[in-house]
Amino acid sequence: MREVQADIVIVGSGAGGGTVAKELAPLCADGVRIVVFEQGPKLKDEELTGREIEMASRLYFDSGGMLTHDRSMTLAWARAYGGSTTVYTGTSMVVPEHVLKKWDVPGLAWDDVRRRSEKALAENNVHLLEDELINENNRLFVAGCRALGYRVQQFPINVKGCHGAGVCNLGCPNGAKQGTNRVQLPLAERQGVQVVTNATVTSVAKRMCTVRVRSRKFGEPSAWEPGEYIVKARIIVVAGNAINSPALLFRSGLGEYLPALGRGITLHPALILAAQHDHPLTNFFGFPKSYYSDQFRDDQRFLLETCMYYPFTTAKNLNGFGEEHEAMMRHLQFQQQILVLALDEPLETNRVEIGHHGEPVVRYRLAHTVLDSLHRAMIEAARIFFAAGASRVHVPAAETFFVKREDQDRLEALVPRANVRPGGISISSAHLMGGCRMGADEKTSVTDAWGQVHGFPWLFIADSSLFPRCSEVNPYVTVMALADRVAERVRERFKELGS
Amino acid sequence: MRYLSQERARFLLVVAGRIVPAIAGMEAEGVSRFFGIIDAALGDRPAPVRRQLGAFLGLIRWLPVLRWGASFDRIGARRQDRFLRWLQRTRLRLLRQGFWALKTIVFMGYYGQPELWPLFGYEPRQDGNEALHA
Ligand SMILES: Cc1cc2nc3c(=O)[nH]c(=O)nc-3n(C[C@H](O)[C@H](O)[C@H](O)COP(=O)(O)OP(=O)(O)OC[C@H]3O[C@@H](n4cnc5c(N)ncnc54)[C@H](O)[C@@H]3O)c2cc1C
Repeated sequence: MREVQADIVIVGSGAGGGTVAKELAPLCADGVRIVVFEQGPKLKDEELTGREIEMASRLYFDSGGMLTHDRSMTLAWARAYGGSTTVYTGTSMVVPEHVLKKWDVPGLAWDDVRRRSEKALAENNVHLLEDELINENNRLFVAGCRALGYRVQQFPINVKGCHGAGVCNLGCPNGAKQGTNRVQLPLAERQGVQVVTNATVTSVAKRMCTVRVRSRKFGEPSAWEPGEYIVKARIIVVAGNAINSPALLFRSGLGEYLPALGRGITLHPALILAAQHDHPLTNFFGFPKSYYSDQFRDDQRFLLETCMYYPFTTAKNLNGFGEEHEAMMRHLQFQQQILVLALDEPLETNRVEIGHHGEPVVRYRLAHTVLDSLHRAMIEAARIFFAAGASRVHVPAAETFFVKREDQDRLEALVPRANVRPGGISISSAHLMGGCRMGADEKTSVTDAWGQVHGFPWLFIADSSLFPRCSEVNPYVTVMALADRVAERVRERFKELGS
Repeated sequence: MRYLSQERARFLLVVAGRIVPAIAGMEAEGVSRFFGIIDAALGDRPAPVRRQLGAFLGLIRWLPVLRWGASFDRIGARRQDRFLRWLQRTRLRLLRQGFWALKTIVFMGYYGQPELWPLFGYEPRQDGNEALHA
């Protein structure tokens, strides 16, 4: 094993890791050696082809289809230079004050998170898309919501020079989306931070970690030779996401000191719903996600967003098979799509563990309240589709493949709650939260309000695993805001720890 | 196929033809792309998942014997569809989930082929905004 000396190690280069790298980068001018380890590749621009299966297998862990332990949900997260910000859509939301109140972390004030979120919004060029660039899939959602009197808002998004390729979740081929791969990491690298790709941190211990570097057939070669390394550092910041960070700490034997490790994860369980219009729409052209409705956030606990997915993802989210399914797929241009996100509670039993080989295992049971939310959401989304003019709607839990327009008044009867069963419909998550939650009590949390792991002054967490409950909005800006806080504390601690 | 025996692959194609009818009429090139995608996907998955797929295919093949006295490939299209619909709806969660996984693999093998996208009217362009007002 080769030994390398660093000062600060950052594990993961996504929303959290990328932000910490950028914030700490000025230290490099004083000779501080900062290394970011990223297990995924850095794809070359020409490798971002927008082809669904190819991009999924190169950018996502398990091609975006990691299963929960009970196999009722798939989890999507990217492993790449830029982490999931390489594939996120880029909707940029500040966490609402009422959510921070529920988080109830002593020392974590909403004003502070808001201020840091606004810094991230400015850095990432967040703005509202011009009206003439909104496609029909999005316009129909607005029309449907308004016709029903539902609240509907435009998403602020973080693109620069977007040509509307519409394949945000496959890595932007135009480099328009402002992820850490485009903004924070290049900035950090210019100041001297080293980002080592294809490098998995296998364990952390006091002031050191072990790293395995591999080679891949695609992407830029890693900055380090393939092999095993021991890397010494004064501070280690773990930002591997809500699944990998708890898993890394478990693998490193820290579970016995941290009773809350891995617990209370939330996932915003999601459904992709589709309807058919009588005429073709602009749906996969243009920016895919411009509007959302939080009309049902407080009483039914779900959000609705526009979306438009690619052929395979769409096919797998339509329930059923055979001729009807195929016929709907043959008319992709006629489709309107809506994404549902259920706002789940942090149950203690929903948790990350590790398997025999140290790999993450996600135990997540879909609570009845979540299934209730998904059921209500299917019905409300169907109403919006019809109000927008759809001729028929595919409701995954309906008794028939399509609910026809003339049956729209019978939705409640046609979509029985009993049909919303795990394993029967496609439920997925791209918002992974919790597992190393912040808090004051060492029994119920993993870190303090500044991301320092309880009892380990050299170890910090800076990613979505810090969330004590779900964010109730798309999470990346909040991840960046928290990472910004963590970086501030790391800077102070670095001085305190001396050499 | 590296991860499915020839016999299993042949049977998978029979089931796939009920899940996406167009697969039954696909030309050799399409079939080879179909298996290429599935093979690569299986290669990325842990060995137990690959074994489970093989076992589930075996189950689909032989379970119909209990009901119709013949294996899946011999019961005719209508019964095949009925059986698959039952798998989709059954209260037995493992079977339901197994069928969901199988469908997913079939959809991946078929809808994951860029060569077929024009058939579904899916023709993405890097300058999609240009097409908005075309
Ligand atoms: C398809 C998709 C669309 C999304 N769209 C939006 C959106 O529009 N708006 C929004 O707010 N949020 C969105 N999100 C969610 C958002 O991307 C995540 O919440 C955010 O990126 C999480 O940040 P993170 O730092 O926790 O993890 P990530 O960004 O996932 O980064 C973690 C990184 O750490 C690496 N890593 C993990 N373990 C190790 C290890 N042991 N060694 C080395 N490297 C390691 C991983 O490979 C990964 O690259 C989306 C997510 C997905 C998947």
